[in-house]
Amino acid sequence: MIRIEPEPWAAMLTHARQVYPDECCGVMLGISENGAKIVSAALPLENSFAGPRAARYELRPEDLIAAEKAARGRNLDLIGIYHSHPDCDAYFSQTDLKNSCPWYSFVVLSIRGGEFHHANSWLPNFERTEAAGEELIY
Amino acid sequence: MPKVLIPTPLRQFTGKQDTVSVPGATVGEALGALTARYPDLRKQIFTDEGKVRSFVNVYLNDEDIRYLGKDATALLEGDTISLVPSIAGGSTVTAPPEVSADPVALSNDEVLRYSRHLILPEVGIEGQRKLKAAKVLLVGTGGLGAPLGLYLAAAGIGRIGLVDFDVVDVTNLQRQVIHFTSDIGRKKLDSAAEKMRAINPYLKVVKHETALSSGNALEILKEYDLVVDGTDNFPTRYLVNDACVLLGKPNVYGSIFRFEGQATVFAYQGGPCYRCLYPEPPPPGLVPSCAEGGVLGILPGTIGLIQATETVKLILGIGEPLVGRLLLYDALGMRFRELKLRKNPECPVCGEHPTITRLIDYYQFCGVPAPATTTQETQVNEGEIEVTEVKAKMDRGEEFVLLDVREPHEYKIAAISGSRLIPLGEVPKRLGELDPQADIVVHCKSGMRSAKACGILRQAGFERVRNMKGGILAWSDRVDRSVPKY
Repeated sequence: MIRIEPEPWAAMLTHARQVYPDECCGVMLGISENGAKIVSAALPLENSFAGPRAARYELRPEDLIAAEKAARGRNLDLIGIYHSHPDCDAYFSQTDLKNSCPWYSFVVLSIRGGEFHHANSWLPNFERTEAAGEELIY
Repeated sequence: MPKVLIPTPLRQFTGKQDTVSVPGATVGEALGALTARYPDLRKQIFTDEGKVRSFVNVYLNDEDIRYLGKDATALLEGDTISLVPSIAGGSTVTAPPEVSADPVALSNDEVLRYSRHLILPEVGIEGQRKLKAAKVLLVGTGGLGAPLGLYLAAAGIGRIGLVDFDVVDVTNLQRQVIHFTSDIGRKKLDSAAEKMRAINPYLKVVKHETALSSGNALEILKEYDLVVDGTDNFPTRYLVNDACVLLGKPNVYGSIFRFEGQATVFAYQGGPCYRCLYPEPPPPGLVPSCAEGGVLGILPGTIGLIQATETVKLILGIGEPLVGRLLLYDALGMRFRELKLRKNPECPVCGEHPTITRLIDYYQFCGVPAPATTTQETQVNEGEIEVTEVKAKMDRGEEFVLLDVREPHEYKIAAISGSRLIPLGEVPKRLGELDPQADIVVHCKSGMRSAKACGILRQAGFERVRNMKGGILAWSDRVDRSVPKY
């Protein structure tokens, strides 16, 4: 279960709408205890994919290091990654899966016509051959 | 000793420590020491072969060790090692394009998807590759564009461009099946592209959010192999025709009205063009649009799929294309007829001595006003009156004639109380019923027919004639919501 508090949730949606029709990406900070994750801050990061960004995203490792540092500075943990799917459902695509990491929750926001439509959270397995849905509360 | 920063999810393997100091002269040794101390961590970072997992990047301070000395990168006192996942993704289901050397090669998934095509000898692998390599432009994502978009996407066309600037309206849903009730208010482009990509994720959809114009048509069309005309108005139809002739692109044409439709292929390999068939547009107002004349919701499905069939045939180069033949469809009689079309040697655009060698002003050519570029805040022109002003006149008790020039069956659906009905077609012969000195406000459904009626009245010497801007639709929006829109 992952619960996103109103403030980070609003920040994620704003980010996704601003970047539309491109994909946005960022990290979620919070706490994780006994499988229950609570997101209390969202950090928008730059989509550094080199080609068209309407259907791809990439996070710079440097940005992740900085995000990890920021999390430590706030006594929070980096517990998830979010990105948007413009005009597309919030599924975990093959591209998402192959470039994911089993350590984190992956929240996907479906943005249609520039507005939020729905969202899902995914937990990729170790082999990155499939991702399980995770209960998402916002 | 160098430190290793442990990412949050891995701290369960390090006794909750977020930083672990380990001995080691190189990065490789330090990570070896770390995973020797915390064996459960090993699987997270290394493969069974002892290689760092592909999703893990190892950073020394701020540098990726791949660009330093890899595992052998030497460590100094106070150095920090970070384990950074490599994360990317995207809504695309397919792998990024650079992995495929041949852009029209079919993946195994595509072979399976198109198997019912591939086992047709007339299509086969070669044909399917032609479809994938093809670039098709759909002008309009309305009644005709809806079935075209859905089926051409499913058939495996590689790239489909869409031109539209409209938003989905509830009155579209009766026939424009690519748009759903939940799409009302969305851009038609977004709504259509989403459905097409949902049907076929291999499809590349290019959205052109604009009204096709003399200024942009050649630029947009030149990127495509073939143009499918799904427009609903004469200026754009002539524009698409002329641009296709000038660029040498086939124009797969269809049109619909009430219960009847037409389809043919223009400007293909020396065949006739739209101007060979209709050298001049009809007088403005003579041929009503679907909004004015109505259309059976199923009709555009039939005609759009005839266009889709011709599109696929042209790309595959099979069968007998609908060139030099105008197919006429009558839904009520359920009959198809065919008219022979000949190329007109005198045709001003595709004839032997063309006089039209570049795009012209098609609104002027068709005698209709160009659509306002801003959607809402248009100026009130001379000879026009706002609905709110008409209401104010009523409230002030002013004496004036509110003339409704729609058809009687439209009047039954919705009418403004106190209006007087004379259908546009009867206006010229019923002028005697009106006082030439009277203050007259003319309205129709949206303002097009009433503009024409105002012209007739003014020509006949009526001086105090004004057109109610936006028609009864605007009245319903801004004055009286109880008047239904249709």
